Amino acid sequence: MALRHKEPDRVPFDLAGTVTTGIHRLAYRKLLDFLGIAEAEVRVGEIHQQLAAVHEDVLKRLLVDVRPVYSRLPAGWTPSFTDDEQYTRFTDQWGIGWRKPKDGGLYYDLASHPFARFSSPADVVNYKIPDPADPSRLLGMREAAEQLSKESGAALCLAGVSAGFTELAWWLRGFEDFLTDLVIHPDMACAILDKTLEIKLGFWEMALAHVGDSIDVVVEADDYAGQHGMIMSPATYRKYIKPRQRELFGRIKSYASPDHPIYIVFHSCGAIREIIPDLIEVGVDAINPVQVSAANMDTRQLKREFGDSLTFWGGGVDSQRILNYGTPEQVREEAKRRIEDLAPGGGFVFAAIHNVQPDVPPANFMAMWEAWREYGCY
Amino acid sequence: MGLIEELKQAILTGDLRRAPELTERALGDGMSPLAIMELACTPAMLEVGDKFKKGEIYVPEMLVSAMAVKAVLKALEPALQSAPALFAASIVLGTVKGDLHDIGKNLVGFMLEGAGVKVIDLEVDVSPGTFVDAVRTHKPNFLGMSALLTTTMPYMQETILLLKEAGLREDVRVIVGGAPVTEEYARQIGADLYAPDAARAQEMLRALIS
Repeated sequence: MALRHKEPDRVPFDLAGTVTTGIHRLAYRKLLDFLGIAEAEVRVGEIHQQLAAVHEDVLKRLLVDVRPVYSRLPAGWTPSFTDDEQYTRFTDQWGIGWRKPKDGGLYYDLASHPFARFSSPADVVNYKIPDPADPSRLLGMREAAEQLSKESGAALCLAGVSAGFTELAWWLRGFEDFLTDLVIHPDMACAILDKTLEIKLGFWEMALAHVGDSIDVVVEADDYAGQHGMIMSPATYRKYIKPRQRELFGRIKSYASPDHPIYIVFHSCGAIREIIPDLIEVGVDAINPVQVSAANMDTRQLKREFGDSLTFWGGGVDSQRILNYGTPEQVREEAKRRIEDLAPGGGFVFAAIHNVQPDVPPANFMAMWEAWREYGCY
Repeated sequence: MGLIEELKQAILTGDLRRAPELTERALGDGMSPLAIMELACTPAMLEVGDKFKKGEIYVPEMLVSAMAVKAVLKALEPALQSAPALFAASIVLGTVKGDLHDIGKNLVGFMLEGAGVKVIDLEVDVSPGTFVDAVRTHKPNFLGMSALLTTTMPYMQETILLLKEAGLREDVRVIVGGAPVTEEYARQIGADLYAPDAARAQEMLRALIS
C-alpha cells in the first residue's frame, strides 16, 4: 500500500530486504548479543559488503515487512579466494577483482578492472561474459519465493544479477577511465554501457518471466552522486544513462499486470536531487537510501516536491552522524522527525540510510526501531 | 593565441594530443619547465577548480584536464634534470587504514599536482605508522588523509596522535576530507584543515603556499 501512496496501518519497515538496507555481519553480531540471541551463528549473505544473512526469526521479531529473493551464481562457476600478505582476494563472475584487508578489513573493495587496458569498443563487444540468462541462476527461486511469501506474508524484493549497469560499467573499466571515456571517448563509454545493459536486460527478462508474478519489488542500484553533488553532470546523465534506464525500466515494467504491479526501487547514494524528476520519468517508483546528510536531500522538502509520485525507501535516520555517533535519544528524535516528514499519505518504507555499519551501537539500532514502532503508526 | 594560452586551452578541454605537443614547442622556444608549469598548468587547473566549485563542470571534465596536465608533466621530464624544482610545496596523501576507496583522494592529488603541489601518493589502506614514516622521510608541507567510511574515519585521529608522539605534528599541516568528514570532525580530531572536495583542497593549499 505504501508504494501505491496510500496509508497502511503502519509505515513498513525494511531490514535486509535489499543489499543497501542490510546490516554488516559485525553489527548484526552485536545486535544478536544485545537481543539475547548470542548462540545464533552469523552467516554472510552478501559478500562484497559483508552483510549478514539475517535470521527469519529475527526478521519476524523486528516485524520486518520485506524479504529478499536472490538469484544464484551460474552453474559450474564458483569464485576462488586467494590470500597474500595483506589481502584476501577473489575475482567475480564478470572478471572484476576484489580485495579485503586481512588486518581489520570490513568489506571487499575493487582491486582490478578487466576493461582497464581496452583501447577500442570492439574489445568490449568481444569480451566474453557468463550468460546473464543462464536458467541455473533461477534454480529453486520460484519455490523459495512462494514459500517465503506464504510464511512471512512479506513483500518480496528481487535483487539484480549485479550492480546497476552504470556502476558495473565503471567497475569493469575503472572509475577514472570510464568517466573520462564519457568526455573523450564516448563511443567506448557507450559500448561498455551497452554491454552492461545487455546483462541487465538478459537477466530481468528471464527472471521476471519466471517469477514476476510472485515478487513485488525489483531493486536496481547505481551511484550517481557524492556528498555535495552529482558525479557526472545532469546533462551527461541525460545523454548517456537516462535513455538506457528508460529502456531497462520499461522492459521490467512490461512484466507487471494491473492486478500484479512490479515496483522499481532505485538506489543511488548522495546528492541526486537534480535528477529525481528524470528518475520518476523513466519509471522509478521508489528511491533509496535518501541520503539526508547529502546536499539538497532534506526529507521535508523532498516529500513536498516529489511525494505525490515517489516513494521514499530509506531516509529513516542519518547514518553518517546520528545512527552511529548519536545517543539513543538523538536517534529517536531523528527517526521521529524523518517519519513526520515522510510518512503522511503513504509512500514511505522506513529503513536506515544504507547498510547498518559495525560502528552502530545495538542500543542505537533498537532506539531507531522503537521510534519506528512508536511513531510509525497511521 | 599565444603558445601558453593555447596550452591552457588544451588543458581546460582535456586535449591529450595537443597538450604534450604544445609543451614540446614551448620547451623548443626556450621556455623553462617551471615557467610552463606556472604560466599554463597552474592557472588552467585553478580555473578547472573554480568551474567545478561553480557547478559548471563535473568530475569527468575535471579528470580529463588532470590527464592533460599529466601529459604535460611527462613531456617536461626530459628537460627537468637541469631545471629548478617544479613544485612550490609537497603533500603526502593517502586513504586511511581499512579503507580502499581512492576516487576522492585521487581527485585531490590531480588537482594539487596540476596547481604546483608535489604529490607523494601512499595510495589506499595506509596505516597511521606508514603516514608518520612518510612524513619523516619526505618532510612534506602537508599531510592529506581521506576516508569514505564512518568506520575507517577514526584512523585519521590515530594518525594525528601518532604524529604528535613522533614529535612531527608541528612540522606538517594536516588536511582531511572524504564523504563523512566534516569541518567539526576535523576540528575535534586536531586536523588543521578540512576540504569538502578537490577544488576546495586546491584553493586552500594554494592560498597557504602563496
